[in-house]
Amino acid sequence: MLNISQLKIERDGKQLSYDFQLEEGLILAVQGLSGVGKSTLLSAIAGFVEPIEGLIFWQGDCLNTLPVEQRPVSYLFQEYNLFEHLTVMQNMSLGFVGAVPKETLAEAANILQVADQLAKKPGALSGGQRQRIALIRTMLRPEPLVLLDEPFAELDPKTRELATNWVRDTAKLYGKTVLMVTHQSEDVDRVADECLELS
Amino acid sequence: MLQHANTPMKIIGWVSLCLIVLVTVFAFQGLIGFSESGPDWALLSDHYFHSILVFSLKQALLSALLSVALAWPIARALYYLPHVPGFRSFLSLCLLCFVMPTLVLITGLVVMGRQFEWSLYGLNGILLAHIYLNMPFAIRVFYQQLKGIPDSSWKLSVQLKLSRWQRLRIIEWPSIRGTSLMLFGFIFVLCFNSFAIVLALGGGPQSTTLEVAIYQALKYDFNIPEALMLAWVQLLIAGGLFLVVSRFGSANWLSVDTASDEWTPRPQGWRQGLMKSSYYLAWLVLLLPIQALLLGLIQGDFSRLALTSLFKPTLITISLGFFSALIGMALAYTMLNPIRQMNALGQSRRRIVFEWLATHALVAPAMVVSVGLFIFLLQRIDIDRWGIVFVALLNTSVVVPFAVQKLKPRLYQFDAQYGELSRSLKLQGWALWKIEWPFIKPVFLSTFALVLVLAMGDVAIFSIFGSKEWTTLPWLIYEYAGTYRMAEASMASMLLLALCALILWLFEKAQTSNA
Repeated sequence: MLNISQLKIERDGKQLSYDFQLEEGLILAVQGLSGVGKSTLLSAIAGFVEPIEGLIFWQGDCLNTLPVEQRPVSYLFQEYNLFEHLTVMQNMSLGFVGAVPKETLAEAANILQVADQLAKKPGALSGGQRQRIALIRTMLRPEPLVLLDEPFAELDPKTRELATNWVRDTAKLYGKTVLMVTHQSEDVDRVADECLELS
Repeated sequence: MLQHANTPMKIIGWVSLCLIVLVTVFAFQGLIGFSESGPDWALLSDHYFHSILVFSLKQALLSALLSVALAWPIARALYYLPHVPGFRSFLSLCLLCFVMPTLVLITGLVVMGRQFEWSLYGLNGILLAHIYLNMPFAIRVFYQQLKGIPDSSWKLSVQLKLSRWQRLRIIEWPSIRGTSLMLFGFIFVLCFNSFAIVLALGGGPQSTTLEVAIYQALKYDFNIPEALMLAWVQLLIAGGLFLVVSRFGSANWLSVDTASDEWTPRPQGWRQGLMKSSYYLAWLVLLLPIQALLLGLIQGDFSRLALTSLFKPTLITISLGFFSALIGMALAYTMLNPIRQMNALGQSRRRIVFEWLATHALVAPAMVVSVGLFIFLLQRIDIDRWGIVFVALLNTSVVVPFAVQKLKPRLYQFDAQYGELSRSLKLQGWALWKIEWPFIKPVFLSTFALVLVLAMGDVAIFSIFGSKEWTTLPWLIYEYAGTYRMAEASMASMLLLALCALILWLFEKAQTSNA
């Protein structure tokens, strides 16, 4: 279980508060107006933002004192997820310990219709293709807790449907616990088990 | 930006480019016209030629390799430990070392050699001097490249739990790879064409470079066919290499990134200790020749030195430097106009050729240009009377490549960021200059200071065109050192070094207050 307990974060002079639990293996959609602190919550769980108060527990262990590298988290940032000087395949292969599951990655690329982009550099890809590449890596990394910050923002309706289905299937297949920031209620309907509305 | 650049600026640009090219053309014309037999190609199979060619290549290769290899760990230490004491001063010291007049360095090294009873003559001394001048420059370039790594890359690497080796391979190395090649080529060319250092610390066919051999061929034998042949070889090797490096290397010399560095890794434990040690060791090494000069001053006998004798050479040095720097900057800026247009139009081959022409003075043998021009002008002008004017003009042509190299990336950056916007706003001429100037001003000022200090350190050109009446400070040092008056040489060297440091400091201050 992910337990966010009385968490308080100061951001731009504003105090943001969070307090909720999420069962392991579930997908939580995080919604709310811009500036309400959705991305900040993900950053705090990943360890990029230090809370002023409160605790973050994962399966009973407190994450607060752990550095980013030791947290069981795979994080899709809103932007800058790819190294521009590496090929798409090289980018996708990062973040795995031991052998890279190349076949699984290739299969996912096939499903998300980016299989013919693997040898290219990210600069040659469209925004939507870049987002799908980053999404594949984030979902398939061997971390139990997945944080997705607006993962479908750049996608057209058809690809969006494809990607949302794939995210849900993959999360369920590998038993991932997912927190997903989104502004779209259709993403919530398609992917999420629960929804958290921040205000 | 410049697809429709205004015609007068374009014309001025072409004129500037022609002027710089004509200096070299006239120089070669002078030598070729004087000698009826042309270059002495028979020398190509001569053992003497082989030995100086091998030595020129060997010392340049080793100097460039060692400068780049030693600079890298120190630049990393600076990047990863930005709060280390004396950080800013160290970067300033690096700049000062790079532009340090060679005679000041040679005096410092010779005095240091005496203190420690080291022999600094031959390959070792030449390498030491070349590394001393170029390693600090490489440190600055590497440091600025590393500073250009976006914070988002480090953040991503932490999230992806990349190992140290992966960070090095995926983030650090790609950021400096292109620059390393460019830097290596640049330092190689500078060392390949090195004159004063090899003349002072080398000697004999075993440690003579092509440039010094040209000087010797002209000065002792006035053997123009031999000098011409050596000059062509030097031009072909240095010029060819520079062209290749310009084509394949990519050096973003001025990529100062002021963005957040919240996620830049901060080494701990023994790694931090190692980095700190290399940083403090670099401080020590760079300060040694300066410390030697200071000690030379304290222990020196100045009974024969009248301080007033330094006043006039100082004034002449500053005036000549200002003249060359001002004209050099104007030429560099204007000749970059047509080149920027080629860049904007994506004409990369043309651009590389014209960039090469704009910076060719870097690879053209300075001695050949000076002597060739001397012969060319001998029949046309009273050189005894006008020699000092040519010292100033030739120094201008020598500093132009440095000005071009420093200004170019900033101007390309302006074109990339604001070129289309400027065009859509129909900004031209003065209106365009008003928005361009604040953008390039910091780089312009630092470049001005750099070329001013470089011009103030000249000895080679003065040795051909100069006269007693117009003695400069570097020439005075040369005269003192040549007559073993090391205390006086140390005094004049310290004065010149202090002047250079003051100029760099003043311009850096002006740059910071304008930022």
